[in-house]
Amino acid sequence: MELTHRLELFPDCTVTLLLFNHVKNAAALRKKAMEGSIEGALINPAMIVDPFQILVAANKAVHLHRIGKMKTRTLNAEIIFSLSPNNNISDAFKKFGISDSDTAVLIVLVVDKEKTVNLGDTVSQVEGQQVSLNELPQLTDTARVKKMYKVTPQEEKLGTLLDSIVCRMSTKDVI
Amino acid sequence: MAAVPVGADGVRSGEAADPAMDETGTEAAGAAMGEPEAEAPPLPGLQLVHQGAEARVYRGLFLGRAAVAKLRIPKRYRHPALEERLSRRRMAQEARSLLRCRRAGISAPVVYFVDYVTNSIYLEDIVGSITVQDHINSVQRSENDASSLLTLAEKMGEVLARMHDEDLIHGDLTTSNILLRPPVEKLDLVLIDFGLSFISALPEDKGVDLYVLEKAFLSTHPDTETLFQALLKSYAATSKKSGPVIKKLDEVRLRGRKRSMVG
Repeated sequence: MELTHRLELFPDCTVTLLLFNHVKNAAALRKKAMEGSIEGALINPAMIVDPFQILVAANKAVHLHRIGKMKTRTLNAEIIFSLSPNNNISDAFKKFGISDSDTAVLIVLVVDKEKTVNLGDTVSQVEGQQVSLNELPQLTDTARVKKMYKVTPQEEKLGTLLDSIVCRMSTKDVI
Repeated sequence: MAAVPVGADGVRSGEAADPAMDETGTEAAGAAMGEPEAEAPPLPGLQLVHQGAEARVYRGLFLGRAAVAKLRIPKRYRHPALEERLSRRRMAQEARSLLRCRRAGISAPVVYFVDYVTNSIYLEDIVGSITVQDHINSVQRSENDASSLLTLAEKMGEVLARMHDEDLIHGDLTTSNILLRPPVEKLDLVLIDFGLSFISALPEDKGVDLYVLEKAFLSTHPDTETLFQALLKSYAATSKKSGPVIKKLDEVRLRGRKRSMVG
């Protein structure tokens, strides 16, 4: 159901993605996330086109965390920030984090080898239905994503939307 | 340039580990020895594709995708501060140029991750691609219909014109820095290796860019003068700003090595 990937460059780190639909307690979840009483980064699936997008963000976040050069204060916040094409942290949270009215939530858990995270714990806190990551495309708001990442029409002919997004995410600190 | 297969644990057999270095090479902060050694990245299916003067290029799976990892080789003869700055600048230029290309609709690899600590960049691997260099060589060797090469040259002229119209100078144009995405007949060109690239609107810089390609082209592929002519013709037809550029190219040619500077 969920998707797990071990980061090649940080072999003691695994990233797990959990997708939920028909979520009723988004507001409570957002509050928990801000308090830090829920494990993982809570992301709005409408802004995500493919799990690879999350992996790229998580990889960058873990890298910056390891070298002590994160722009935000926590690893989870950094993952959300890494998704954004710009360097405005609060904008990143607004656009990529969840809002009180959301009915779908994507939770990203980054686990270090020594720590064991209880997936069931996290799942039980969500009042909604856990669905497979294969359903993610149905939840994506393509128009909104294109607008957010400012994808040019010439670029669309070159490759997938995911290509454009990932490129911007990974080069935003130099451009 | 043989591919060196790497063991499953990602460690290249026979590579001497620097005893003072941290194993992963990513802990730069506080390391007493200066910049980290260019270690092989622990990617599944790792293969060394190319060892150049500037960097080692590997292929492997990164975050589940076929990727190319370019690790810059630290130049120990340089002052460390200079080395650090130069490496970082080149990497930043490469990343910036790759994004610029994509935004303008010019085919170039997608950037997956840039690591300023180990000076490595992880890019999309264009699976099954061949360099234009290898393609031209194979067509010439098999004495096949060489007219397809004319169309290829025209396409190259087109792509370079679009790149220069974006005021992007490649800096290292050779036929091994242009790839053909499979299937080869489609002539879908991908530009790579933007480590020496920069932004400039000057016809002089664009002219020099073309001159570098001309020299590389003619020296690597004998009897291809007509091909390069076709390339330039297509370039001139595609770019609105080509006039001054071609003029500069002629001037630069006269400046070349062993050229008489007498009027």
